[in-house]
Amino acid sequence: MVRYLLLAVNFVVVLLMALAPWAVLKREFGGVGVLLTPFDLVNPQNLQLPAMNTGWAAPFFWVWVLLVLVASAALFLPDARTRARLLYGVGAVGLLLFVAEAVVFYQTVNAINGPALEAGTSPRRLPLRRFSLSLGAYMGVFFSLGMLILARLQLAGGKAFLVRYRGVVVPLVSLLLASLIGALVVGFIRPGLGAEGKVLPLLDAIATKLDLVTYTFQLLFSPVISVTGWFQSLLLATPLIFTGLAVAFGFRSGLFNIGAPGQLTVGAIAAMLVGVYLPGPGWVTLPLSIAAAAAGGALWGAIPGWLKARFGAHEVINTIMLNYVAASLFLFLIAANEYKFFGTTVRLPFKAEGFEARSNEVQEGSRIPLMLDLLVRDGHLSWAIPLALVLGLVAYYTQRRMDLGRRLLISGGAVLAGYVVGGFLPGPSVELTSALTSSRFNGAFLLAVLALLFYNFYLFRTPGGYELRAVGLAPKAAEYGGVNLRSKTVLAMAISGALAGLAATHYVLGGGIDEYRLKQSLPTSVGFDGIAVALMGQNTPIGISLSALLFGVLLTGGLDLNQQLAVSRELVTVLQALIVLFIAAGGFLPRYFIDPLQAAQVETEARAELEAREKALVGRA
Amino acid sequence: MKRLSPFMIGFLVVAAIAVVFLGMRVESAILIALFFSTLRQTTPLLFTALGGMFSERSGVTNIALEGMILFGAAAAAITVERLEAPMLAADPLSRAAWIPWAGVVAGVLMGGLVATVYAIAVIRYKAEQIVTGTAINLLAAGAPPVLMQALYNTTTNSKEVENRLPVIGVAGESLSPLVFLAFLLVPLCWWVMFKTPWGLRLRAVGEQPEAADTMGVNVYRLRYTAVILSGLLAGLAGAYLSIGFLNQFVKNMSAGQGFIALAALIFGKWHPLGVLGATLLFGFFRALAIQLGGGEVMPSVVVEALPYVLTILVLAGFIGRSRPPAAIGKPYEK
Repeated sequence: MVRYLLLAVNFVVVLLMALAPWAVLKREFGGVGVLLTPFDLVNPQNLQLPAMNTGWAAPFFWVWVLLVLVASAALFLPDARTRARLLYGVGAVGLLLFVAEAVVFYQTVNAINGPALEAGTSPRRLPLRRFSLSLGAYMGVFFSLGMLILARLQLAGGKAFLVRYRGVVVPLVSLLLASLIGALVVGFIRPGLGAEGKVLPLLDAIATKLDLVTYTFQLLFSPVISVTGWFQSLLLATPLIFTGLAVAFGFRSGLFNIGAPGQLTVGAIAAMLVGVYLPGPGWVTLPLSIAAAAAGGALWGAIPGWLKARFGAHEVINTIMLNYVAASLFLFLIAANEYKFFGTTVRLPFKAEGFEARSNEVQEGSRIPLMLDLLVRDGHLSWAIPLALVLGLVAYYTQRRMDLGRRLLISGGAVLAGYVVGGFLPGPSVELTSALTSSRFNGAFLLAVLALLFYNFYLFRTPGGYELRAVGLAPKAAEYGGVNLRSKTVLAMAISGALAGLAATHYVLGGGIDEYRLKQSLPTSVGFDGIAVALMGQNTPIGISLSALLFGVLLTGGLDLNQQLAVSRELVTVLQALIVLFIAAGGFLPRYFIDPLQAAQVETEARAELEAREKALVGRA
Repeated sequence: MKRLSPFMIGFLVVAAIAVVFLGMRVESAILIALFFSTLRQTTPLLFTALGGMFSERSGVTNIALEGMILFGAAAAAITVERLEAPMLAADPLSRAAWIPWAGVVAGVLMGGLVATVYAIAVIRYKAEQIVTGTAINLLAAGAPPVLMQALYNTTTNSKEVENRLPVIGVAGESLSPLVFLAFLLVPLCWWVMFKTPWGLRLRAVGEQPEAADTMGVNVYRLRYTAVILSGLLAGLAGAYLSIGFLNQFVKNMSAGQGFIALAALIFGKWHPLGVLGATLLFGFFRALAIQLGGGEVMPSVVVEALPYVLTILVLAGFIGRSRPPAAIGKPYEK
């Protein structure tokens, strides 16, 4: 049964390879391009194209057909080991084939662009621009990776292998499914690139649609190829790391903190209060402002925690309600200077002069510096902070055998050493483009890294964290083991809230909303996005940082998508929502991927199978 | 009568505030306007909360109500706009009575469709209900803007429609027929919930699914029906918002009304009459917040926060205890 399903998949792969563009030779700003399919050159808007080699795709296509045929035949071989070997071979050859395609493609492009560049044409006016490989070629990579996984599945313990890595498999499958649906949505709402208002032959129409979908995802991921893109992505990832950690911390303790938006809001209010009104030198007020953000969030998280511990009121409903209460409080403080209660006038000092609802500005000393100012000194890149970060992390993760105190001491020493040494290292000179200098990427990112470390350290390396995780896994067992459930509930919600509150440092103290103050544009919905980050990251620190980065990249790429293809950036929200939906449903994978007990059973069966096989081998010898 | 206490509280509060108003010699015209405004604000809450009641009574938490309202609202507005566009192009003054009702049907069906997705995820795949609900809400925040960008080249609102739902004039004010429908649904829901075998089974499934199953009730089918019913009603609420209350879809136009409805459900102790009292109270707060504006009595932001604070107090047991159905939020393992 499964074999025939795989045959169908193989058929679809070949079909897509035949129909999809393999490469886009050039592209205009709005997305219209010249597409190269294996047997055709699709040029819907008749763009000018210099004479060039366009025949390379067809031979590659036939090799792929051969590979797919081999893989299909391999499925029906009786011996598992031969099957696996063949499929491994197909996968490896496929990956090499893709590399060859890329080389050939970039050579043909260079053959045109190279001479033009030497002749002094500016890079913006080259004959071929925005060229790239496209879906047809990418299909090869997907197919090869799929074959490698399939090969592993043929061998003993293959299923257990996948189940063991279910923490990665479930999010990835969900991401894939969400992308597929996102692609369908885009294909449905927009005409193919260059096909607008035209009646194209069927094959061309299909090619332009597939190009539209491919270009959409290329744009979404485009920030990873430029420094500015990375800056912007990390900027957007910073609050997501905080809120993702907040939600994940709740999950680990068996609580669903859906109140990150409210905790962020109260954190922002607290940070504003201290940052604006506390007098003193910056080295005193800045840490206090940051602490205030955490305290505000902690307070707003502790309330539902206490309500649950004391009265058994469900935290989900209470956190939702508190989100709205916080939003009202926020507006109350910054919308007007005086209010009337039954005729009595109450005056508030928080709203700044002017029509717009916003607070006064945070004083200079309490602002978090921009990353650019931290990284670049006198036009040269300073290695101090990158080196300190890298050395600190390396020290922390390599000294696993040490006891905790020494480990921390060594890591701290490494950070200090990295900072000092990095400060003296000569850095390359940096050209500050306007895109870089206008980015609000700020030191809150470093706080986010610290928060990640705190999460890892507290939950997995301290008795308190151990107790919290025990409560999360089995509250009754934990209570029997002597854990005070009530105080742990309040504590967990408070820490979770503090993490969410810290996200406000990015916005209020770091100027993430373009100004150093409270404004109505404070994007509290990142609190909900944190749920997607936590789920996608499976509540592990590394997973959370990766998924926050992923969403940061997508959100940044969403801007390009909006400009070039007139597809709303909210597509990223749709993807996020679908990812959450699919992960919640276990990626529609079999139950043993979700249920730890069933997963353990799969492992046990695999081990028994391996042992039986070894015994049989020994017996034969 | 203990079960109905929120109902009583609601009216006591309304009466008290009315007395305060009268004491301040507010003109009766304002009071009448406030009364009708309350009815209009209550309607979407009532639809949604009554729907949510079926879902939650069957044991399925429904955080996704907010998203279902939004999907329903978007579907209704866009359907009406698409249907009337060719007609208006031919004659800008032409109106058709059936078009808004087609929009209502579209909104209701859309709500039901989203609820079906939710139901499949939480019942068939036993997905965590709160997480899935959040996903639906996220989807409702993202999907309509994507569609509107493609249709109208803006993410914030849909084109204004000409064919709105009709209104019925009462005492110098006008009310949508959906307002009457909402209030008529209350006794109907009460009857279905407490006087029919189906209602009895529904409540049994929400309290003790194992026992209900033993007695031959199909737990899954009942939960599917209940959740989809909640989606249909939430979609109706959305249609009321976009083509009854306004004449277009605006991004995030429900602005938390799904959650207020959820709060009203808790406040009303999962009982139709309690829900009526709670939604009237919360609808009154919303109307009051609008009427007060920058008034003398209380800042409107404070009034807006009252439903949420009250719900927290009720959940904590400060104002009567609210006990959810016993099996709520737990997937049923056969």
